[in-house]
Amino acid sequence: MRLNRKVIPWIVIGVAAAAAIAAWKPTALIYGVQRAGLYAAIAIPMALVLGIVHIVNLSHGETLMVAAYATYTIAQALGLDPWLALVPVMAVMAILGYLIFQLTIKHTLKAPELNQLILTFGIAITLTQLVTLLYTTQTRKMHLSYVSASLSIGETSFGVYDFVFVAMAIAMAVALNVFLTKTRFGKAAVAVGQNPRGAAIVGIDVQKVYVVIFTLSVILTGIMGSLFMTRQSIFPSVGGPYTMKCFSLVAMAGIGNISGILYGSLVLGLAEAVINGIKGMSGWSNIVFFLLIIGVIGVRAFKERKI
Amino acid sequence: MKKTLAVATLFAILTAAAFGQTIKIGGTWPLADVTGEQGSKAAQLAVEEINKAGGINGRQLQLFIMDDELKADKGVAAIEKLVTVDKVDFLMGGMGSGVALAQVPTMKKYQKIVMSTGAASNLVEKALGADATWYFHLHPWDYTQGASYLEGWTAIAKKYPAMKIGKMFLAYEEGAFGKSSYDASKTMFAGNFKFDGASFKSAAMGGGDYTAVLEAAKEFRPDIFLWAGYDADALPILEQAKAMKYAPPLFVGAPPGWPKDFGKSPLANNVTLYGMWAASINDINPVSAKFYDAFIAKYKAEPATYFAPLSYSAVYVLADGIKRAGKDAFNKDGSVNNEAVIKALEETKYLSALGETITFTPSQVIKHQGIRNQKILQWQNGRQEVIWPFEVQTKAPVYPFAWK
Repeated sequence: MRLNRKVIPWIVIGVAAAAAIAAWKPTALIYGVQRAGLYAAIAIPMALVLGIVHIVNLSHGETLMVAAYATYTIAQALGLDPWLALVPVMAVMAILGYLIFQLTIKHTLKAPELNQLILTFGIAITLTQLVTLLYTTQTRKMHLSYVSASLSIGETSFGVYDFVFVAMAIAMAVALNVFLTKTRFGKAAVAVGQNPRGAAIVGIDVQKVYVVIFTLSVILTGIMGSLFMTRQSIFPSVGGPYTMKCFSLVAMAGIGNISGILYGSLVLGLAEAVINGIKGMSGWSNIVFFLLIIGVIGVRAFKERKI
Repeated sequence: MKKTLAVATLFAILTAAAFGQTIKIGGTWPLADVTGEQGSKAAQLAVEEINKAGGINGRQLQLFIMDDELKADKGVAAIEKLVTVDKVDFLMGGMGSGVALAQVPTMKKYQKIVMSTGAASNLVEKALGADATWYFHLHPWDYTQGASYLEGWTAIAKKYPAMKIGKMFLAYEEGAFGKSSYDASKTMFAGNFKFDGASFKSAAMGGGDYTAVLEAAKEFRPDIFLWAGYDADALPILEQAKAMKYAPPLFVGAPPGWPKDFGKSPLANNVTLYGMWAASINDINPVSAKFYDAFIAKYKAEPATYFAPLSYSAVYVLADGIKRAGKDAFNKDGSVNNEAVIKALEETKYLSALGETITFTPSQVIKHQGIRNQKILQWQNGRQEVIWPFEVQTKAPVYPFAWK
């Protein structure tokens, strides 16, 4: 495997930055990586849909929330650990994804983008209100002793559970990469993403690709919803902020660039952890998050114009 | 015979018109939120109890409930509708300060007697002004709450000398609620305690990572670690503190409500909190026990926040005032005689389900302030126990806080 020369300076800068953070506050590096894993794992399914179906799904965070509630309900009703409840939740999310696509998204694929945005925004509100009606706004959180798992190195103790998000993000990225580059259906999906009309001409069933990819994305979001609720409290509006962050991350990485999401989330996660690590600066973390995104998109636009 | 029947019917109609009219109370709450949902249900429960016992001066109560959705514009529209369409005689309810603040001009316009259960921000009383004698505020103001915490911790330190209470760290959510809590606490505690704090992004706002504030607190080594955020932060902050092996001597939470089944988590044990009511008060207060049993019997759910007993008490306080005003409570045209009812309410002395006797005295601006103190409670074996004020104490504090 040959390393692209252009990447080497970025790798050097990245390693130097990580070393500097580790020297300043080792826990900032740990928590930054964990946070990056969470963002990446939630953003990857959104990137999949955006890259192939070309839909900006503003109900992405709400789908995550629905999966979290489904996991909570199944886990409570059957006395299951959320990691086990995840299996039936995947089936529930597959049905939900299929229905959302067939009943709504399918009919707006050729509509102006604004209509698609309004549609998915409407789906987001509908899901939030439905969950509010069923569960009220009262916050729920299952106590799971393993989420407090910790490791001590010298005087420093830190939580290790959140590394599951890092593992999940890497697993999703690798699995999707294999699926999209090595399987017949995956290759067809990439072709549809690049040129749907051309793909249709060569005999690819574009509608089938769309429905499968959208449903797969909802299933992946569902898996993350199940894991998300092990760590975070859930309430009907819990997913909203993640839609915006994930969309920004996807835009930063480049449409459909799944491995780019891993790098982007690492930069953003570390930046947030560093800002939070400076006392009195936590309010700046969102500003830095979006400034970084604006900066990266701006630089890329400038480069493209030069070419 | 026909003539007698006609006269009797006419008499019955006139009697009903004169005495049988219902007393209409309009209440606004955020119904999608557990505080408003249960607050309105508790108010309805009180109305039904009073009606079952014969009503007030022979008249039945009727409660009109409107959803303010925790939004200022909806709160204002709800008051307009209650007064102009439903023609209510009295207003009650409320939770959020923002909604209450927006409702003030409309309330001033109609000058209905209000029995308010929400609004802690002193901005509301500044907006009301000293001449809003029709406004009866049951919930403590932010500054009376702050003063009660200082009083409570000082009293606890005095009674339990083993409890060292000299250094406080406040982890506060970075929004308006947390920031105002920080400013108020700093003003209140900085002269008496060594005080420090740092902000975090609440899970309710898309955050949920408390590691930085916990590290700052760990470095400061406070006697009291207090966090001011929302219910969504309650368990995750404990889980992350445990993962970091951080156990302050007193782990205190000050969210407006607690997540469902929080007490069932082993991490909740011996977490201290601020609040106005706990089910443990049932052991020492029969009114609380009566409310609790009736609420569960009717709604098959436990009261989850103090807004339920507070709203229940609000109806009783109002009904008690109207009753004591007697025939002077209403003018001949059926409108409320504000002067008579306000005078009666000023003499209120009602042993409430919250554990204290409610009376009205002036606060910094308004004339009729009800409850002033919050209580200091502690989760012990899945139940909130009162540790201060000592007159309603249900259990001694467990100290220091430690992970099981």
